[in-house]
Amino acid sequence: MTEAEAVRAEVETLLALVRERYGSRLDAEQLAGVRTSIEGIVQASRALRAVRLGNADEPAQPFGAYRADP
Amino acid sequence: MAEDVVFAPVRVLAEGIRARRLSPVALAETFLDRLERLGPRYNAVVTVTRARALEQARRAEAEIAAGRYRGPLHGIPYGAKDLLATSGGIPTTWGAAPFRDRVFDFDATVILKLEAAGAVLCAKLAMVELAGGMGYRQPNAAFTGPGVNPWNREAWSGGSSSGSGSAVAAGLVPFAVGSETWGSILSPAGNCGVSGLRPTYGRVSRHGAMALCWTLDKLGPLALTADDCGLVLEAIAGRDPADPTTMDRLYRYPGAGPAGRRFRFGVLRGVTDGCEDAVRENFARSLEVLKGLGTVDEVTLPDLPYDDITRTILFAEAASAFEDLIESGGIAGLTAPEDRYTAYARDAILAKDYLKALRLRGVMAREVDRVLAPLDALVAPGRSTVAAMLGGEVRSAIRGTARDVMGNGAGLPAVAVPNGFGARGLPTSLQFMGRAWEENTVLAAAAAYQSATDWHARRPAEV
Repeated sequence: MTEAEAVRAEVETLLALVRERYGSRLDAEQLAGVRTSIEGIVQASRALRAVRLGNADEPAQPFGAYRADP
Repeated sequence: MAEDVVFAPVRVLAEGIRARRLSPVALAETFLDRLERLGPRYNAVVTVTRARALEQARRAEAEIAAGRYRGPLHGIPYGAKDLLATSGGIPTTWGAAPFRDRVFDFDATVILKLEAAGAVLCAKLAMVELAGGMGYRQPNAAFTGPGVNPWNREAWSGGSSSGSGSAVAAGLVPFAVGSETWGSILSPAGNCGVSGLRPTYGRVSRHGAMALCWTLDKLGPLALTADDCGLVLEAIAGRDPADPTTMDRLYRYPGAGPAGRRFRFGVLRGVTDGCEDAVRENFARSLEVLKGLGTVDEVTLPDLPYDDITRTILFAEAASAFEDLIESGGIAGLTAPEDRYTAYARDAILAKDYLKALRLRGVMAREVDRVLAPLDALVAPGRSTVAAMLGGEVRSAIRGTARDVMGNGAGLPAVAVPNGFGARGLPTSLQFMGRAWEENTVLAAAAAYQSATDWHARRPAEV
């Protein structure tokens, strides 16, 4: 499978999910717009996955254990 | 009251109020009249808060007369982007038709802090619906209509703090508060020829502000000068238990700083690639000015997917923040046709990819800081183009180069100031971005630039 074919297959799989959830609300033009957006999401996903990280590279996200005062 | 107060910087107005040459009540009346009379021309205003403004102005006048002067914002009128919660029956619409009648029973922390500083809330200002988070691609993306640019009424003022930019540029308020997730302070500041400050993420409480993207949203001022932005930031900055992302770092604005200070500026290689000719030419002229203020060196950034990191975080968090509106189909009530369906696509973002973006964000933040460490500010064109025309497409609403997105992705402070004019008489801008918590450094650099130029003193012809 070529790179383009792999991208297309991924887009179609994810589009099927969105169509399943929201397809009844979308006309053909809107569905085409959703497809374009998903193409962007897939491209971004592949760009993110292309960068290698180590096990210790955590999400840049604060979380603190919570305890109500007092 | 003389019209010359309309375009006076906050610092000048404050001197007049403190010396009791200016009456806060008369000042409020002047700006309320302009908001009511001229606001509709620019689609800049959602609600004029006349009753609250006059109550606050009368209180300020009485306190100052009694010798209880609170500081430089005491008695100064302002406007707030309409995503900041306000009590007292004042609607908070988020610029979106589905929320046009919604009223909160509390004030956002920023509103409370400005009240404590004695500032006078005169208006809730127009904005792109949901701060642009649904993927709009055109200026007409708010139930109040497209934001109109005071420099050219065929052009856009936004986004997404469209009213905050145009209201300051048109002399409807001396300063405004906007929000930035992905360019929404710097962009309207640049489009409208005013100064805008994006603070460090965590500097200003987001409590009571509409959440678009919890880890990217920031609140900051737009005003006529960088110096005024510093005065406002001091009033709104600080730790807030209601917003756990705020940091316990005391912020004091010391003023523009000593004349003659030398700065170390950096410029990203190829930073003007893709910019309009006038943007490129004005930036080149700005660099000549900056060389008189310090050193200017070319720098490079490591190759990272800056845009993909930041956009994945924005899309995933916005889809979650507005889950109810999206899944209920409520987005069908939004103004821009593309805002009525684009968000459905975000169900396609996988959790693993969102987490990868958050992990890469840490790498990005460290790499950008490494580049910024030997510098006072990284300088760049504020925008690659002048403002879009009202009937045109906003091509880069949620697209950008490393120059555009790394500051937001890494949560860094930046200030945009006007640096000339381009096509159709529209302003261009210059951006100074610094290390985390270095607002005073970027403000000092911007103030030094404004001391050497007069772009910030230019006014639209028809205001």
